[in-house]
Amino acid sequence: MTLLEVTSQTWTITLIGWSIVFTALVLLIFVFTNVPRFLKIKFTGNRKKTGKAASVTKSEASGSEYISGGDTAAIAMAIHLFFEEQHDEESNVITIKRIQRRYSPWSSKIYGMRNFPN
Amino acid sequence: MENKYRKSIVALAAVVILLTLQAVFGWVDAWAAVAPGADAAASQGAQGGALEGLRTFWNFTGFANFEFSNLIMIMVGLFFIFLAIKYDYEPLLLIPIGTGILLGNIPFVEGYQVGIYEKGSVMNYLYFGVKQGIYPPLIFLGIGAMTDFSSLISNPKLMLLGAAAQIGIFATFLGATALGFAPNEAGAIGIIGGADGPTAIFLSAKLAPHLMGAIAIAAYSYMALVPVIQPPIIRMIVPKKERKIRMKPPRAVSKVEKILFPIIGLLLTLFIAPTALPLLGMLFFGNILKESGVTERLADTARNSLINIITILLGVTVGASTQANVFLTVDSLKIFGLGALSFMVATAGGLIFARIMNLFLKGNNKINPMIGAAGVSAVPDSARVVQQEGIKYDTSNHLLMHAMAPNVSGVIGSAVGAGILLSFLLQ
Repeated sequence: MTLLEVTSQTWTITLIGWSIVFTALVLLIFVFTNVPRFLKIKFTGNRKKTGKAASVTKSEASGSEYISGGDTAAIAMAIHLFFEEQHDEESNVITIKRIQRRYSPWSSKIYGMRNFPN
Repeated sequence: MENKYRKSIVALAAVVILLTLQAVFGWVDAWAAVAPGADAAASQGAQGGALEGLRTFWNFTGFANFEFSNLIMIMVGLFFIFLAIKYDYEPLLLIPIGTGILLGNIPFVEGYQVGIYEKGSVMNYLYFGVKQGIYPPLIFLGIGAMTDFSSLISNPKLMLLGAAAQIGIFATFLGATALGFAPNEAGAIGIIGGADGPTAIFLSAKLAPHLMGAIAIAAYSYMALVPVIQPPIIRMIVPKKERKIRMKPPRAVSKVEKILFPIIGLLLTLFIAPTALPLLGMLFFGNILKESGVTERLADTARNSLINIITILLGVTVGASTQANVFLTVDSLKIFGLGALSFMVATAGGLIFARIMNLFLKGNNKINPMIGAAGVSAVPDSARVVQQEGIKYDTSNHLLMHAMAPNVSGVIGSAVGAGILLSFLLQ
């Protein structure tokens, strides 16, 4: 069958192709909407093993999931400043090191080129 | 003023000299052709070696082999370079491609291993990576090592937008078939709608190598023109009220999730479309390098040095592959037309799907339909366009991070699409 001068095979490829792309991504969506739940189960399971205050941390955990843009900016700024200042922190002690050189006739001022013999 | 005149006089003089040279040597050519056999040898001897040498030299120059089509392509190359410098449209791609077009369209005498299509030439060796589809997966490795999938992981449903925008691929596939292209050619042209340069090169190298130059140039030039193509479509499809929708900030994503994403993504997508292995395999591999946290050196190389080297080689060889005699055909024009259409259809597909999704979402879960436009995978340009558009209607509504989700899922979607087309159409 042809529609708009396009064979049915082409239509098949089009429709199947697009639906496969959708399927692949829908599967990924399915996995990744459930992964946090799965991780949380593991997480609370561990909590229960260790014992107390699981319910408190649970509510805390659900609350801390959403960090507003402002908070993120503040944290980023703090980290930025911390690293910047860390770079600038120096001892502020400036010293000139004395270096004593051993005597060598090569560097002697007595044997300079401009010392004409008397 | 005087300087201006002087410049134009010098330019004019140069043109006159060149024309005279061509006339003189053209005359010598004609004369040499008329004089047959021994006469010719004798006359050449009389002319002396110098003129003969000059004549040979002239025959080797670009001026002697010049054709009008070369000039057109050189203008195209210069236009690409102009766009990159003046408007900052994807300069990392357009400068190498533009220069490549100049390189590919210098007229030369064939048979001396100069041109990109001549076996044994340096350009031909570099072109090998394009022809055999080696460069695109390496680019994907770098992209994987650069990409942060956290916005996608925090709001997985946005992945649907990346899938919806792939309608561009399949609509163009239909369109190309209707215009009379063979199925494999139509598939290669369709991938322009994926808005992904490396994927387009990879697929066209496998399905229709003879169209690869045109397809790659179309894909890259439309990717560079995303800031021009998308905004009018966004304004046409998304009503003003919906453009102001603020989206819920994405939740924090744990490290385990970030590590799991590329691993699960790799296994899942490649089991569905194993033909996309070179692209998606490398993409997720790069991301594993990044997220594992223990291979920082490798990730760093992949996202910087490696991708830079490959971009240079890919850009310049793709540009050079547009040799006028191969490139300037009616098919190329059709491909350019279809490419523009596919970008529009893909953008519209993403936007319309986003609006449909909004019908089912409630309260502050609603999404800003403009991010649907980022479903075409021109990373990160289309996300940037959405951000710019968002700011126009609400100066504090930053959509960039939200738009990155459909954007990167668009990359996955178009690679899966390429894999599917490959498995259907590769003979």
